[in-house]
Amino acid sequence: MPVFVEDPAKFSKSRLKSDLVAHNVSLPSAESKKEVYVQLYLKHVNQKNAADFSSDEEDHEQDAIDKEEHAKDPQMLDLADLTDDDLKAMLLKHGVKAGPIVGSTRALYERKLKKLLEPDAQHKPNGTGDGALYSDSEEEEEDREEEEEEELDSEQVRQERAAQLEEAQQEISQAELCLQNGDYVYPQCFLMSSRLRACASRHWEPRPKRNAGNVVELSSEWSRSQCSQIPIELSRTSSLDEPTGLGSRVPPVSQSDIIHVPTSSSSRTFSITQMVEEMESQSLLSSSTDRERELNGSIVEEHWSRANRLDMLKRDKCTMKNQSLYYTPKASPYELAVKLTQEPVTDIPQEILPDSEPTPTGIHVTRRRPIKGAAGRPIQYKYPDTPVSPMTRERQEVERRLVPIYIQILVFLIVACLLYLIYAYVEDNSFNPFVALLDSLNQESGSEEGHLLQAETQDTPVLDTLTGQE
Amino acid sequence: MSTTSQKHRDFVAEPMGDKAVTDLSGIGYALGTKLQDQGFDKAYAVLGQFLLLRKNTELFAEWLKDASGANSKQAADCAQCLSEWCNNFL
Repeated sequence: MPVFVEDPAKFSKSRLKSDLVAHNVSLPSAESKKEVYVQLYLKHVNQKNAADFSSDEEDHEQDAIDKEEHAKDPQMLDLADLTDDDLKAMLLKHGVKAGPIVGSTRALYERKLKKLLEPDAQHKPNGTGDGALYSDSEEEEEDREEEEEEELDSEQVRQERAAQLEEAQQEISQAELCLQNGDYVYPQCFLMSSRLRACASRHWEPRPKRNAGNVVELSSEWSRSQCSQIPIELSRTSSLDEPTGLGSRVPPVSQSDIIHVPTSSSSRTFSITQMVEEMESQSLLSSSTDRERELNGSIVEEHWSRANRLDMLKRDKCTMKNQSLYYTPKASPYELAVKLTQEPVTDIPQEILPDSEPTPTGIHVTRRRPIKGAAGRPIQYKYPDTPVSPMTRERQEVERRLVPIYIQILVFLIVACLLYLIYAYVEDNSFNPFVALLDSLNQESGSEEGHLLQAETQDTPVLDTLTGQE
Repeated sequence: MSTTSQKHRDFVAEPMGDKAVTDLSGIGYALGTKLQDQGFDKAYAVLGQFLLLRKNTELFAEWLKDASGANSKQAADCAQCLSEWCNNFL
């Protein structure tokens, strides 16, 4: 006997089926609805009580179906059961200030609340959940290939590197010039990243190790591999250990840190002088950019976000170069420098834009720009189409209109001298042109008055005589 | 919203008085008939609903879409129209 004889409509479909089978009733086709089962059940299994369900049988079934639907969507059930006040309170809890909930508005508010209750987890920015797909293995492979390539071409590269360094320094000065003009420069990831690093080491104090320590770390690795001849594996593993430790904290960092690993191993082809030169250029870079930043720090700040957006682009560029390395080994110094200066930049987008959800790959989609210097295109250090932000333009405008400060000071001094001279002359009694002028004026007016008085006195006797005659 | 329609300007220019619901911007004959069937025969009735929704144009547009089957533009026009009228005369 079934337990709930009263309401077979509340049974699940499978329960109905099993009961029907138990009572030797042939089952309807698989697609048939629950009502069919219920009817069969009522007819065959529960005939005694069938009369109870005569009139409101349909309603019960409807209820059951409704209940099932509610079970699928429990929030709907909740919303329908809420009182007006509850509904209002719920809406308020979700930050919606509801108006009066009356018959004509209730449905609307219910729907709104349902929308609010629905988990908005579906909405995520690009690149979710596929972090495992974007492993670093590809880059490592490329780097390994690059190593081999470098070992083959090490002699050639060494010869070329000095020239390249000089070129790079020229570029830096060039780029500085451009910066002073207020233009925005993308010198092959070169200046920008170091600039960012310089800023980063100042702005992100809490994590100085990763930011400021990169150069030091690298240089120490160089010196170790150079001077004390420690096996390469050791230094490489040590350098691997650190980045992975960091990487566990911030996923995007690990990617870029692993990029820099082969630089230490490939840099063992350097001579010490070249290494020192490179380090000097690094320090020169950072110091010059420091100056630059202090000069027009605000402009840097404004370009900050844009630079971050371009990080991804830079990385693209670098990988492009990795591929092109096979036939153009000349590109390697650039790329090395790029790698050296790139690391601290990568996780800045997260800190700058805390609102944006961190993507596991660290990839933020930006508009693609033509890759200059790749595939035989001419290298262009400045993107002409980059718009200067309106604030910067305004400031430039203002600066253009302003009088230079030394002229201002000069004018001020002249005016001050003039005032002092006037004061001195006024004080000085020996020579006082103003007082003299005033005196002469007074005398003139006084003489005129005298003349007038005389005339009056002359007139009156005449009048007197006239009156006297009359 | 680039420009407003003549109907919109006419409605916003003066107190609505006893204007019919079809005088609202975005509400034509068809939508007006549907609204009249539901009891919203005058513009002030629709205004009442708008005020009940605390002058929330989004909610109002949604309600209008449900109530009369208006499309998004019509609903937005009507909401805009009532909102501006409220700014002027309320």
